[in-house]
Amino acid sequence: MQMRLVMPDDRTRLRELDNGLVTALSAGGVAFDVIADVLLIAEEIVCNAIDHGFSEHRPHEIIVSVEQRAEQVAIEFRDDGIAFNPLDRPAPNLDADIGDRPIGGLGVHLVRELADEVSYARDATHNVLRVVLHKSTQEPLE
Amino acid sequence: MNLTIQVGKRQAGAQLVTLIGRLDTHTHGDLDTALAPILASRVHSLVLDLAELNYISSAGVRSIFKARKALAGHGGKVLVARLQPQIQKVFDVVKAVPLDEIFTSVDEADAYLDALQRKVVEGEVEED
Repeated sequence: MQMRLVMPDDRTRLRELDNGLVTALSAGGVAFDVIADVLLIAEEIVCNAIDHGFSEHRPHEIIVSVEQRAEQVAIEFRDDGIAFNPLDRPAPNLDADIGDRPIGGLGVHLVRELADEVSYARDATHNVLRVVLHKSTQEPLE
Repeated sequence: MNLTIQVGKRQAGAQLVTLIGRLDTHTHGDLDTALAPILASRVHSLVLDLAELNYISSAGVRSIFKARKALAGHGGKVLVARLQPQIQKVFDVVKAVPLDEIFTSVDEADAYLDALQRKVVEGEVEED
């Protein structure tokens, strides 16, 4: 499955992406709560790309590709924004007193925690974020 | 799918707010707008009933953080009750609220606040 989203500076097309992901992943036998994790990861990554990478005054695009294997699902987010690696961001201090806690940085933290693997690459003019999750909720037997 | 916000009863300085639907990048501004007059009205604490909230993202957690920060100045809290699994998971991962401020019912949250208020009142009496 591949979806190409042309994004002006709004998020309205995220819901189309959600629908596309649900359809593709359900058909691939991905567990319901893993699909829920994927939708959250997609929102966090797309919003980060829009907020940090889409600064110029032109439409941008995000291409989302889903690749399913026997045990895993890999999702690639490829956008043409300015170079931005969300994984460079330091982990938020979750134990700070509420008065001192920054309100940012939570989205990337969620992506890191929910995904089994996440990696970033700058491919010429594109940011490429690749996320891998296990298709079932049970941990694989070692 | 959108967010429905129901502002409920206020008792002993605690305002009940029920959230239904999704609290995400599309809807968090609606919550900020709905909470602004409540937070400006000298309310002590908020109780959020999340039984029918079925999705939250970091954008929604940020709205809850803003409310927690606004109330923390006078010792107020944002208590949350009846979390669905997705909400519980996100709250666990980002430590959205302290564990002892998560409740399985609105009544339990109210009882916690009552006890908190009694402690404050008794504390003031002892100091006098």
